[in-house]
Amino acid sequence: MTDLQPICALGQSAPQARRIGALLLSQNTALGLASLAMRRRAEPPQIGLPLPGPGGWVEGADCAAFWTGPDQWMVEFPGRAAEDVASALTARAPGCSVSEQTDGFVAFEIEGDTPPLLALISRLVNIDLGRFPPGSATRTGFHHMSVFVIRRAEDRMAILGMRSAAASIWHGLTEAAERLEALT
Amino acid sequence: MTRLSGGLIDRTQSLRFTFDGKTYSGHAGDTLASALLANDVRLMARSFKYHRPRGVLSAGSEEPNALVTLHAGARQEPNSRATVVELFDGLESFSQNRVGSLGFDLMAVNDLMSPFFAAGFYYKTFMWPRAFWEKLYEPAIRRAAGLGKLSMQPDPDHYDAGFLHCDLLVIGGGAAGLAAALTAARAGVQVILADEDFRLGGRLLAESAPLDRPATEWIAGLEAEFASLPNLRVMRRTTVWGAFDHGVYGAVERVSDHLADPGRRVRQTLWRITAKRTILASGATERHIPFANNDRPGVMLSGAMRAYANRWAVSPAKRIAIFTNNDDGHRTARDLMAKGVEIAAVIDTRPATTATDYRVIAAGQVTNSKGRLGLSRIEVNANGRSEWLDCGALGIAGGWNPNIQIASHHRGRPVWDEALQAFVAGPGGPAGLICAGAAAGRGSSAQALTSGAEAAIAALADLGIAAYLPELPQAEDAAQNLQPFWHVPGKTRAWVDFQNDVTVKDIALAHQENMRPVEHLKRWTTLGMATDQGKTSNVTALAVMSELTGQPIQATGTTIFRPPYTPVSLSVLGGGDTGAHFRPRRLTPTHEWAKAQGAAFVEVGQWMRAQYFPRAGETHWRQTVDREVLATRKGVGICDVTTLGKIDVQGADAGAFLDRVYANAMASLKPGMVRYGLMLREDGFAWDDGTCARLDDTHYVVTTTTANAGTIYRHMEFCRQCLWPELDVQLISTTDAWAQLSVAGPNARTLLQRVVDGFDLSNAAFPFMACASLTICGGLRARLFRISFSGELAYEIAVPARYGNALMERLVTIGADLGATPYGTEALGVLRIEKGHAAGNELNGQTSAQMLGMGRMVSAKKDAIGTVMSRREGLLAERRVLVGLQPVDPGDAVVAGSHLFTEGAEQNTWTDQGWITSACFSPHVGSGIGLGYLENGADRMDEIIVAANPLQGQSTRLRVVSPHFIDPEGGRLRD
Repeated sequence: MTDLQPICALGQSAPQARRIGALLLSQNTALGLASLAMRRRAEPPQIGLPLPGPGGWVEGADCAAFWTGPDQWMVEFPGRAAEDVASALTARAPGCSVSEQTDGFVAFEIEGDTPPLLALISRLVNIDLGRFPPGSATRTGFHHMSVFVIRRAEDRMAILGMRSAAASIWHGLTEAAERLEALT
Repeated sequence: MTRLSGGLIDRTQSLRFTFDGKTYSGHAGDTLASALLANDVRLMARSFKYHRPRGVLSAGSEEPNALVTLHAGARQEPNSRATVVELFDGLESFSQNRVGSLGFDLMAVNDLMSPFFAAGFYYKTFMWPRAFWEKLYEPAIRRAAGLGKLSMQPDPDHYDAGFLHCDLLVIGGGAAGLAAALTAARAGVQVILADEDFRLGGRLLAESAPLDRPATEWIAGLEAEFASLPNLRVMRRTTVWGAFDHGVYGAVERVSDHLADPGRRVRQTLWRITAKRTILASGATERHIPFANNDRPGVMLSGAMRAYANRWAVSPAKRIAIFTNNDDGHRTARDLMAKGVEIAAVIDTRPATTATDYRVIAAGQVTNSKGRLGLSRIEVNANGRSEWLDCGALGIAGGWNPNIQIASHHRGRPVWDEALQAFVAGPGGPAGLICAGAAAGRGSSAQALTSGAEAAIAALADLGIAAYLPELPQAEDAAQNLQPFWHVPGKTRAWVDFQNDVTVKDIALAHQENMRPVEHLKRWTTLGMATDQGKTSNVTALAVMSELTGQPIQATGTTIFRPPYTPVSLSVLGGGDTGAHFRPRRLTPTHEWAKAQGAAFVEVGQWMRAQYFPRAGETHWRQTVDREVLATRKGVGICDVTTLGKIDVQGADAGAFLDRVYANAMASLKPGMVRYGLMLREDGFAWDDGTCARLDDTHYVVTTTTANAGTIYRHMEFCRQCLWPELDVQLISTTDAWAQLSVAGPNARTLLQRVVDGFDLSNAAFPFMACASLTICGGLRARLFRISFSGELAYEIAVPARYGNALMERLVTIGADLGATPYGTEALGVLRIEKGHAAGNELNGQTSAQMLGMGRMVSAKKDAIGTVMSRREGLLAERRVLVGLQPVDPGDAVVAGSHLFTEGAEQNTWTDQGWITSACFSPHVGSGIGLGYLENGADRMDEIIVAANPLQGQSTRLRVVSPHFIDPEGGRLRD
């Protein structure tokens, strides 16, 4: 166990969270991430859940995955950011290309009533939310940055963006939420 | 007061507002224009060029005259159309474009000099002397001619942006738009109905009895149904201002412009609406008929006069006249007469027109007007007789032009409809867009309702969705019986384009000057080039030109339109984020620590990097940088180099893939080793450099320059997916995942030995260009690379990004006795220039491997992107190579960008010998030093040359030296 003290992508030792109106916005620092890519002519790996197709996000018992490209996925390990999830995934998916991505991204979870949740997302990313039910995930632009957007449930969504841009993403999220809240 | 009975204003709510400092009162539901008219204010503005008194012409967003400035201070908003400004309590408004009062504008002298200001006058008048144009003429013209002024202060308001998607976008909430939205919404599809007005209904609100029931009753019923339909979004106060690619429309929602106290609300929101199909139900704009002095306040469009009477219960005067070429003018006369307004006469250009309730002058023309600051009399000519009629306002009904601007945003050229005597949308406009209602030339209420519903059915049928005609109210369906009449001939100025002060005479002059094609007419006269884009003038101008050329209107042509349909503020286009938040910033993993140390930061693309770390007593950045450089050369320096791009390359063919993208060989690299890599562009020029570390047989980690991190990753993905899909290789960026610190200097090994978990760092076990995965600080996974940018014994150590901050702090703390010193990008640059390492300055897209002294790195044993082209004659003949440069006088500065010349030679393009790419002060050398490309540089060591910096009049003598100012043998980094 290392004695180095990690910090969150927003620079503090503890994750940030804010309730704005009917929405709770929180930084998910416990989310372990590893990318998974199939080698040529390989059989799809069995990692404990059916790997989703384009635009899909699937949640399994201890991990979840969303499609990032042909034969490529990002695998989420909730609550396991401190672990070497890449090695864990490699063990489940031998012969695949796996890269550690836990610190490549910052994850923000947004939850609350569905109408304000969708109203907020519509101000941030260009997604047809009428065709983005729970179980959907896509990569899209967010304030000139590239992010993944995941619909985890009717009333829960996540935005994953570059860790280095965490402050800009958080600013964009909270500003939009405050502007929305001011309208109500 | 000229308030009438009825109307759709709320008389229980009185609103106070000011115009030019005078306080007036209006009602909820008023626009600024209607409220001013109700207070007998007809004079609202001065014209653009001649400063002629102007009043309101229209009742909508097409208004060319009544442009006012709203608010004061930083919120000052010039050029606002009074006709669409929703009145609220406390609204401040001001007239603009005047010197002195609105009633006595000193600049009105321009009108007296109008013979000199005809169309194209400045092309001819201000040609001599030539130099005067920029310094005298143009500034003077700009001062004299213009509209409102900006506050020149930052915009204090907030803005928002967002995205919407729908099956059907309906633009316009009049009869056609309402019917279309109703039809589509009942079919269950996702519908957006956007209307620029604050109240749905369009012309239904402006007419006295358009339906078989009160129009407001039918609209209220619809609004109740709309509110119950989750698949329909009604957006009031929302102007769709442009059609873009792939069914995307730009719209601005005025969220709080109409509120006295907006609180924390944003002012406006920019929406990007993606629609599968679109119905353009934007209505039509009435034409005026130019006649002599037709621009006085009180002269207005007949339909607008009717709208003011019916919707806003106001008449611009107690006694009015109408000038018409169709039945619409009579409709206005009847409506106003019913509200007690006296009708002086209806002057109808058509013969044999009669009416029983008011005087009709058939086959008549209005030939002149009088009234200094507002209309008082008109001259009428009919059947050879001329008479003057007293009236305070004149409504003009010249027919209607469909509002097809958005239909032509994709270069859809309008086509002439002879029956309508108007242009309608032609082919080539935005895909999936259908015009309906008056925008399609179907302007009666009955036609508009039916055509809106039918358009919705057709649009949905195109999507394979069935929709059905709803029950619609019975509506008026009167024909206009228009007889074309475009302008009243005469020698006195008759205005066509009110906003840009273009007259019939100007068009005639354009014709005389052979500026006859419509595009030339537009640019020569500036007709249609004002902020209203000629909504009330374009077609009339074409008709006048058509008459002059003797060609039909359709042969004269028409201009097309571009976004925005109506003016859009730059603030809302900016999306709401300004200053530091205008664009994203990327922070390094050690940002917090660097900030705590008081580091100065520098923008490197989106990254904020520590530039240097000043200490107490250091008064100049050079002192700090010199200290950091010397500390690194003598002890150990630590620098955050996370910003370099990192790409994980995996797969059985990873080595073969890298062999094809790098000029030098990578497949032969042994696991556990690193190789410097040079990447060429397709044209053979050097593109990017970095390192390539082989972690195991099928796993490489390559680095790119910070600047090219994104483009190289994209390029490699293109190669992988498109050029060589047969290769088994997978790529993913890991730039952000790992914090990477450079640890450089003679004490680097000793320092790192204190953090690694039992890893052997000896030269034998971990030599120069080795790499390994290991753990540090009690089990933290890390990657270590023995590579050097500074020329010193150096390593780069990578840990998961969240530990970067703590690792930096740890290294500096435990290395205090070793002289551990953090350094920033300035020292990084000095160190690499002293070592002679190339960076972005040297890899500027115009340099080859040969120029960099790396010609032999381009492998002859394999092919790679750019290899063949790097051997083309032009590049092989290049004689400039990278050299070091040192001033003969150590006190002289070396200036990057200076050009190099042989001493004593003339200095011009033909004798240019090269240029200085990078320069700095070297604390190691004790003077300025530089790197540069010099003709035959390798053969000119010790030669004295001249660096010329003509921008600052500098000419410095430099000695040509090796580019390696320190350790040319490379012993330090290998020890």
